[in-house]
Amino acid sequence: MLKRIADLGVNGVLLLLVVVALLPFAFMVVTGIQRADTVSLSFDPDRLQLDNFVRLFTDYGFGRALVTSALVVTLACVVNFVVSSLAAFAFAKKPFPGSETLFWIYIATMMVPVQVTMIPLFVIVRDLGLLNTHIALILPIINAFGVFLIRQFMSNVPDELLEAARIDGASDRRVFVAIVVPLIRPVLVALTVFTFLTTWNDFLWPLVVISDESMQTVTLAAARLQGRFVTEYGLVMAGATVSFLVPFLIYLVLQRQFVQGVASVGLKG
Amino acid sequence: MTTNRTQASAVQADADVGTGRTVGKPGRRPSKLRPFSGVWYVMPSLVVIAVVIVTPILLSAYYSLTDYSLLRSPSWVGPDNYRTLLSDGAFRQAMWQTLVYTFISVPLQTVLALVIAAMVARRTRHRFGAFVRSALFIPVIASMVIVGSVWRYLLATDHGLVNTVLGVAGIDNVNWLGQPVTALVVVSLVTVWKNIGYFLVIYYAGMLAIPNEIYEASSIDGAGGIRQFWSITIPSLRPVTLLVVILGTIWSFQVFDLVYTMTAGGPGGGTVTLVMAIYGAAFQNMQMGYASAMAMVLFVIVFLVSFAQRVLLNRK
Repeated sequence: MLKRIADLGVNGVLLLLVVVALLPFAFMVVTGIQRADTVSLSFDPDRLQLDNFVRLFTDYGFGRALVTSALVVTLACVVNFVVSSLAAFAFAKKPFPGSETLFWIYIATMMVPVQVTMIPLFVIVRDLGLLNTHIALILPIINAFGVFLIRQFMSNVPDELLEAARIDGASDRRVFVAIVVPLIRPVLVALTVFTFLTTWNDFLWPLVVISDESMQTVTLAAARLQGRFVTEYGLVMAGATVSFLVPFLIYLVLQRQFVQGVASVGLKG
Repeated sequence: MTTNRTQASAVQADADVGTGRTVGKPGRRPSKLRPFSGVWYVMPSLVVIAVVIVTPILLSAYYSLTDYSLLRSPSWVGPDNYRTLLSDGAFRQAMWQTLVYTFISVPLQTVLALVIAAMVARRTRHRFGAFVRSALFIPVIASMVIVGSVWRYLLATDHGLVNTVLGVAGIDNVNWLGQPVTALVVVSLVTVWKNIGYFLVIYYAGMLAIPNEIYEASSIDGAGGIRQFWSITIPSLRPVTLLVVILGTIWSFQVFDLVYTMTAGGPGGGTVTLVMAIYGAAFQNMQMGYASAMAMVLFVIVFLVSFAQRVLLNRK
């Protein structure tokens, strides 16, 4: 009996936590779809309107920002995976003299925060004439972390498997494409989820390299709305809703992969 | 999740560096004939990392010893920038506020994530536990920009939801973001709200790895749930706790988006953090040299914290 009461209590606490975690998002959506002069959670069907959302797309370039973000995120995920898995293959299965030292250097670069390299990287990007370009947005996404994560995973692929293929006359390239890549699918998902989230939500770097409004990402567009309007709650919250919608919908579909991806990145990575 | 390439945890895994076979082992003929053939696979990432990380970090160290302002080419000033940092009140304030922010958010999010993970893992039925985990993970996938904007409105003095709720309990309106002390505390608490889901998942994964037999054996010995939590769960999760603390600390020192959107550093500079100070000096005041010196300080702090984790983990 006592145990059942305790269980009920714990469940109650957990439910309360869920409410606290989700309430701000409810507020965001409710404010976004109302004609709002004040900030409140009250919902009045008469004031329901999608004006804010229409204005985002007609006046504030959210359509274009969505396309830019989608493009940048896709490119970042693909490039990150290809470049990282190739390097990881060498480190895990084709070591060369000095490769261990090199891998140590890779690990050391992971300890460098992006905020430290931001200033010189901005200067480099500017000197190359790449400010306000997609390339500039993608640059800092690729780092040693992907190499590290995939290498850990590849080390578990048995060497015998690769040997068998080699004896059958397969080249390294073929071994990599036909055997190794299919085997590392789970880590591919984890890395993609991670790259997707950090790229989509990135703010500081786009703020630094994008000044042209036609090149802004969704996150940047949402932040700029807030800087511009202190009191247009509805519009700002509509912008936040749009910026949140894509990761949220993908999360609904890929929940398990998201949580596992982030957990594995956190734990092993 | 903060944008960062600094995965403190990454450092712990160097334990198995070198498990790769060495060249010349039987059955590794292709490598033996062409010992450097692996280099081609590393080349693309090597180029990117050299351009995007290694060159910038060296340049950053160099800029920090110059008076670079973007408009004129850098000229050497030696350690002047660092000397100025020591006596710069604004920098000291930013440093202090970053520390306060860290000391509020990190312990709180660590303890809460641990306790909630324990409640989810042991006390409730699976389906409900999974639902709680999924729901608490939603703040993690939202960007700091969204979190900052939404909480800024929730905390508004006149019609904000927080004050409305407190009003029901008879508490007068508080100007949360309008006073330096409450603003800094509130920003720290919002960070906790945002991060808990992430660390909850990490703790939960760690708890699943603890063998159930230990709990069963202690149950037979008459240990209750709370006793088990203290004597089994917490000690078994020590490496996970270390990871959560280190990761949280590194993220704290890198905070920018949240403060930028919630308070813009105000009121009166009361929530300016280290990265905000770097951003302001570099891109608003065009003091690239001085900003680089601050960036090097950030680098040293983050590097030392990551390094400490490695030492602590290896000692165990």
